[in-house]
Amino acid sequence: MILADLSRSELERRLAGPGLRLRAGPVVTQIQSPLGAVADGVALHYAAHPIEGSDGFADFFVRVDRPRNLRRWLHPQAVFYIDGEAPFTPLPLDQAFPLLEWGLNWCISAHCHQYLIFHAAVVERSGRALILPAPPGSGKSTLCAGLIHRGWRLLSDELALIDPATSHVIPLARPVSLKNRSIDVIRAFAPAAVLSRPVHDTTKGTVAHMQATPDSVRRAAEFARPAWIVMPRYEAGATAALTTLPKARAFMEMVNGGFNYSVHGRKGFEALARVIDLCACHTFVYGDLEEAAKLFDALATKS
Amino acid sequence: MICREWNGDIVVFNQETGSTHLLDEFAGIVLRRLMASECGATVGELATALAHGQDAREQQESKQAVSAVVAEFARVGVAHADAS
Repeated sequence: MILADLSRSELERRLAGPGLRLRAGPVVTQIQSPLGAVADGVALHYAAHPIEGSDGFADFFVRVDRPRNLRRWLHPQAVFYIDGEAPFTPLPLDQAFPLLEWGLNWCISAHCHQYLIFHAAVVERSGRALILPAPPGSGKSTLCAGLIHRGWRLLSDELALIDPATSHVIPLARPVSLKNRSIDVIRAFAPAAVLSRPVHDTTKGTVAHMQATPDSVRRAAEFARPAWIVMPRYEAGATAALTTLPKARAFMEMVNGGFNYSVHGRKGFEALARVIDLCACHTFVYGDLEEAAKLFDALATKS
Repeated sequence: MICREWNGDIVVFNQETGSTHLLDEFAGIVLRRLMASECGATVGELATALAHGQDAREQQESKQAVSAVVAEFARVGVAHADAS
């Protein structure tokens, strides 16, 4: 059963009541929220995702709700709870769905230590994963969003989950977080892309989420083998160009973007080294998304 | 200490501290020499081992370079300095 099989009233009943058990890749989250903005976001972005029965296992139990104080009425806010605890500062109520997404990212990166987790977008073609590690503001999500509308499958926009035993990248198809100018860039580049209404004045500026493509969600059980590590950087006016990145440097870049590399100790070092062995490593500068998509198309075709 | 090498660059994982370090080619050579010596080595011994065909001035420069690398190793815990 997928979420779209539920009526809107049943979705709202579950969210406001016993909770909705939603599967994204290997992770099942029980979500509770009486907030309309959360119901809207979940309905839009997770329509194709499987839902689980209430008697099964859930990795995380989360709730997005109003705070239990006067802020409930004055300058309404939303709070993210996990197991009844609120680890983050409340945000304005209109940021309730982004808060849920950021909270879920935190749940996974802070707890799913069966995987090596890196801050990176990952897309796949022909069973081969293109890993895009980069700091915020580098154009990583924009590139990721563009590529999945040019024949690549979304594995993750934010968290690269790598099985340390097999080196496979585990799909985690969830909404792609677009910020500021990249929202209009993607609207123009992929008119068919489904975006949420932008939310302004977040800590990241204006944010809109883009729905994962149905194909990415449907193929959530298909792992991918790492083939490329590419560190992207958007630069206005730049011609798209790949430059070889020495593997040892790529290793250290991955370490710097690791959420739980140190948790894995020696096994993490060895597992990451196997990933580096499998990958061609590059830096990448681009100023035009169409040109970038063509370059990656050629990369996937020739190698 | 666990090492992996790609095209002359070495990445080292220090199991004692859990830290990971990127070494350039020269630092990698020094580390290899150090790890190959069963009882450790002095800066002078390491410099001598690396000083094939060097004149006195070059040997002095090598010794200074090895000394700097070993000091960095000690600072990050890749090697332990022994005052004796």
